[in-house]
Amino acid sequence: MAGSEEINANESKMVVPLTTWILISNFKLAYNLLRRPDGTFDRHLAEFLDRRVPANSTPINGIASFDILISSLLLRLYFPSDTPTLPDFSNPLFRHPFPVILFFHGGSFAHSSANSAIYDSLCRRLVHHCSPAVVISVNYRRSPEHRYPCAYDDGWTALQWAYNQAFLRNSPNSNPNIFLSGDSSGGNIAHHVALRAAATSNIILSGNILLNPMFGGQCRTPSELKLDGKFFVTLKDRDWYWKAFLPIEADRDHPACNPFGPNSVPISGLPFPKSLVIVAGLDLTHDWQLRYVHGLKEGGHDVKLVFRESATIGFYLLPNNDHCHVVMDEIRNFVSSNCH
Amino acid sequence: MGPYPCGSAAVGWEGVRSEVQCTAAPDIDGLLAGAGYRVRSSDLCQVAQRLERLESAMVYSSGGGHVDYDHLASDAVHYNPSDLASWVDSMLSELTPADPGPVRQAPAPDGWVDQIYPQPQRAVAARMEEEEDSGIRLVHLLMSSAEAIQRGDAALSGSLIDEMRLLLTRVNTGFGIGKVAGYFVDALTRRLYSVSSPAASGSPAEYEILYHHFYEASPYLKFAHFTANQAILEAFDGHDRVHVIDFSLMHGLQWPALIQALALRPGGPPSLRLTGIGPPSPDGRDSLREIGLRLAELARSVRVRFAFRGVAANRLDDVRPWMLQVAPGEAVAVNSVMQLHRLLTDPDSPGPAPIDSVLSWIHGLRPKIVTVVEQEADHNKPGFLDRFTEALFYYSTMFDSLEAGRANGSAAQQQQATAVAEVYLQREIRDIVCCEGPNRAERHELLVRWRARMGQTGFKPVHLGSNAFKQASMLLTLFSGEGYCVEEVDGCLTLGWHSRPLIAASAWRADDLEDNARPVPDNFIFSSISSTSNTNDSNNNNHNNNDIINSNGSMLRRNSNNNSRSSDSSSQQESIHGM
Repeated sequence: MAGSEEINANESKMVVPLTTWILISNFKLAYNLLRRPDGTFDRHLAEFLDRRVPANSTPINGIASFDILISSLLLRLYFPSDTPTLPDFSNPLFRHPFPVILFFHGGSFAHSSANSAIYDSLCRRLVHHCSPAVVISVNYRRSPEHRYPCAYDDGWTALQWAYNQAFLRNSPNSNPNIFLSGDSSGGNIAHHVALRAAATSNIILSGNILLNPMFGGQCRTPSELKLDGKFFVTLKDRDWYWKAFLPIEADRDHPACNPFGPNSVPISGLPFPKSLVIVAGLDLTHDWQLRYVHGLKEGGHDVKLVFRESATIGFYLLPNNDHCHVVMDEIRNFVSSNCH
Repeated sequence: MGPYPCGSAAVGWEGVRSEVQCTAAPDIDGLLAGAGYRVRSSDLCQVAQRLERLESAMVYSSGGGHVDYDHLASDAVHYNPSDLASWVDSMLSELTPADPGPVRQAPAPDGWVDQIYPQPQRAVAARMEEEEDSGIRLVHLLMSSAEAIQRGDAALSGSLIDEMRLLLTRVNTGFGIGKVAGYFVDALTRRLYSVSSPAASGSPAEYEILYHHFYEASPYLKFAHFTANQAILEAFDGHDRVHVIDFSLMHGLQWPALIQALALRPGGPPSLRLTGIGPPSPDGRDSLREIGLRLAELARSVRVRFAFRGVAANRLDDVRPWMLQVAPGEAVAVNSVMQLHRLLTDPDSPGPAPIDSVLSWIHGLRPKIVTVVEQEADHNKPGFLDRFTEALFYYSTMFDSLEAGRANGSAAQQQQATAVAEVYLQREIRDIVCCEGPNRAERHELLVRWRARMGQTGFKPVHLGSNAFKQASMLLTLFSGEGYCVEEVDGCLTLGWHSRPLIAASAWRADDLEDNARPVPDNFIFSSISSTSNTNDSNNNNHNNNDIINSNGSMLRRNSNNNSRSSDSSSQQESIHGM
C-alpha cells in the first residue's frame, strides 16, 4: 500500500546497522523540516544543520585535500600524499596512468555540499580504495534555487577544467583517465555530463560510476508502490525533489529525470563511456535504475550492474556493512581495468 | 548474500570501524563522528528510539494527513546539530511537552575541548587565472624568500624580492594573486630593510577611519556585531538591569542595533549600561564620551534607560575590573571583537601571558555572556615561514572576498571603501610579517584554541543557534558575490569565503556560581536617562556616567568649569573603590 505516513521503523532497522539507521533517519527527519509544501526550501536551516569539514592539505591516513575555485564553482580535490604541500600544477601527479574521479555528491539536487562531512568521508574512501587516484568533488548549484540545467552545467565546467589540467595527466601527450561518478542526484548528473561530453566534444571518458542514481518518471513502478515509506524514503519526497529540480512546467518524463522515457535522447552511436551502476534493492526507485541500465544496453553501451538486494539508500555513507565493502571492490576493479 | 548482521532493536548491534578520518574521544562513536555527529556509543540505542518517537510525533502532529512541519522549522531555534541526542530531544520537546526525560540525565557535556575535527591546518582556496604561471611563480618566490629570511640568508631573500618586484610589473596587481602578493612583497621588504622595528604606524584616529571602511566594504565586522548582539540579547532575557562591557568601542557601531532590539523587547527594555573601552585621545578630544553621548541620544529616542562610561586604556591588560564598576544584580555581557588576540604572546615563551589575567578577571565578573569574535587564522606560530604561509593564504582569501563580494551601493563608494579596507588589512599583514616579540599585536589563533583557553579558564559554552545563523545568512544577501558562507561548527558560527572560514564567533558564560556581593563604590551613581535630559552635562558635577578613568588610575572629570586634571593617582582610587 502507498502508506507513506506509516512508520515502518522495524523493517528498516532489520537491514541496516544501528549507526547507519541513526544517520539516515536523522537526515530523513531533518529533511522533512526543510521541504515546504509550497515548493520552497529552508536553505538557512539546511546550511545550519549540515555538518561540514574543512579541506586539509595535511594528509590524514595518507590522503590530503584542498579546495579550488574555478570561476565561481568550488571543487575539492583529494589525492594520496605524504607531505603537507600542494601538488605542482604544471606537472603530472603520477607518471603512470591514474584515475581521476569526478564526483557529484547526492542530496536529491537540494541537499549537501562538497564539504559535507559524509561526502568528504566518502571521497577519501574512494581515493583509498582506488589509490593512486585523484577524486574531485564538485560543489554544484542546488535546487530549488538553481533548477535544471544548472547542476549539469557546473558538472560540465568541472569536467572541462579537469580535462585541461596538466597535473591530472600522466604525461603531456596522454589524455587524463577521467571517470564521472556520483550517488543519488550525483549519479544523475554524472550520466548527463557524460552524455554531453559524448555528444558535443572530443572528451573521451574512461567510465561512469553511478551509485543509486536518481531517475524517475511520470508513471508509478512496482518498486515505488511496494517500498513507499518503508526504507527511509517516500514517493512524496521524491516527487517534491523532482518538482524542485525540473523546469517549472515539466513533468517527470522530462529527459533529465527519465532519460529513456517518452522524451528520450538517443544515445546509440555516441561514444558514451562504460558504466558501472550500483542499485540498492530496497531503494524504492530501483525499477527506474534498472530501466536506465536496460536503456544503456539497448543503446549498445557497456554496462555492469551490481544489484544489492537488501541494501537501502545511503548504505555507502558509513563503511560498516558488506554492501559497502563489496561495492568499493567493484569500483576499484572497474576503475583499474578502465585506466589506460 | 544476506545483510550485514544486525539484531533487533535492543541487542547485538555491531558496527565495523574501518578507516575513521577523525580522532574522537574514546566513548564517542567513531563512524558518526566521521559524519559530523557526536554521539556516545552507549547512547546509540536510546538515540535510535528517540528518533523513532520523533518521527511519530512529527507525523501525528500534522494530523496524519497533510504533513506540515513549518512550526518546527521556522519557530523552533536549533542549537548545535552535532550533538544529535540533544537535537532530537529538543525537537521532541517542541512537539510533545509532556516528555519522559531526555536521553542523558546529566546536562550537556562540555565536549568543547574534544577534538572532533582535524585541525584545519591550511584550508586553501587557490585560484587559477590567466596569468596562471606568473601567479604560481609569485607564490613560490614568496615562500622561498620567507624561507631564506627564516634561515637568516638576507642576501638570497633580497634578490628574490627584487625578482618578485620585476614579476609584479608583468602581473596585474589590480586583483587576485598580484594584488595580495604586492602587499606581502612590501611587508617582506620592510622586514628585511627596516632599521628600527616597524611598529604599527598611524594614530588611533587613522585606525578608526580604516576600520570604518573595512566595516563598510565587507560583512566581517557586521557579522561580528550581529552575532554577538543576538547572543547578548538572548542572555539578557528576563533581566531588568544589564551592563555591556565593550573591549573596543571604536565608533560604537555595534550598539545602536542592540539598543533598538532591547527597546522592542516584549515586556519592555531593561536599563542598559554600556562601558566602552578605547585608547585615550591624544589631542584632548574625548572621543569615547562623544560616542557615548550619541548612543545616549539614540537610547533616549527609543525610550531605553541608558548610561555610558568610557574607560581609556591603551592596552586591555591595563584595565582593572574596578574601573568597570559592575554593580550587584546586573546582568553583565563582555564583548570582545578581535581584541583578545592582542593579549597573547609567543606560544613558546615561558610564563603567563596577559591573556591569562584578563580572562581571569572577566571570569570574576560572573558574566551572563561573553561574546568572542576572532580572526579564524593560525598567525601566532613562532616559526616565520609557517606564519608567513598561513598569512599569505588567509589574506589572499580575504582580499578575494573584498574584490568579488562587494556590498550593493554606488560603484564609486564601494571602490573607495574597498581600497581603504585593503589598507586596514595591510596593517595586519605588516604586523604579522614584520614584527616580533612584544611589537607583534596581530596574534590570531584558531577557534579551537580559543575554545580550549576559555574552557580552561572555567567558562561554559553558550551555543549560537539557528536564529543567529539565519540573521548572519540574511546579512550576506546585502553583499554581492555568492562566495560568502556562514557555517555552524559545534555551537559557534564562522563566516568565510568559499569554504574557508575567516572569522569565528563564539559565546561563553561564567554566571552559574554564587553571586559575590560587591560593595558599591561611594561615588558611583547610576544615572537614569530622565536626569540627563540635557546630554551636554558638562556643567553638572554629579554625573559620573561620563567620567573617564585613565588606565594609570588618575581620573579626569569632564567639567567645563575645571580644566582636566589628573588627580593624585592610585592611592586615592584605592580608597574610593576598595577593590
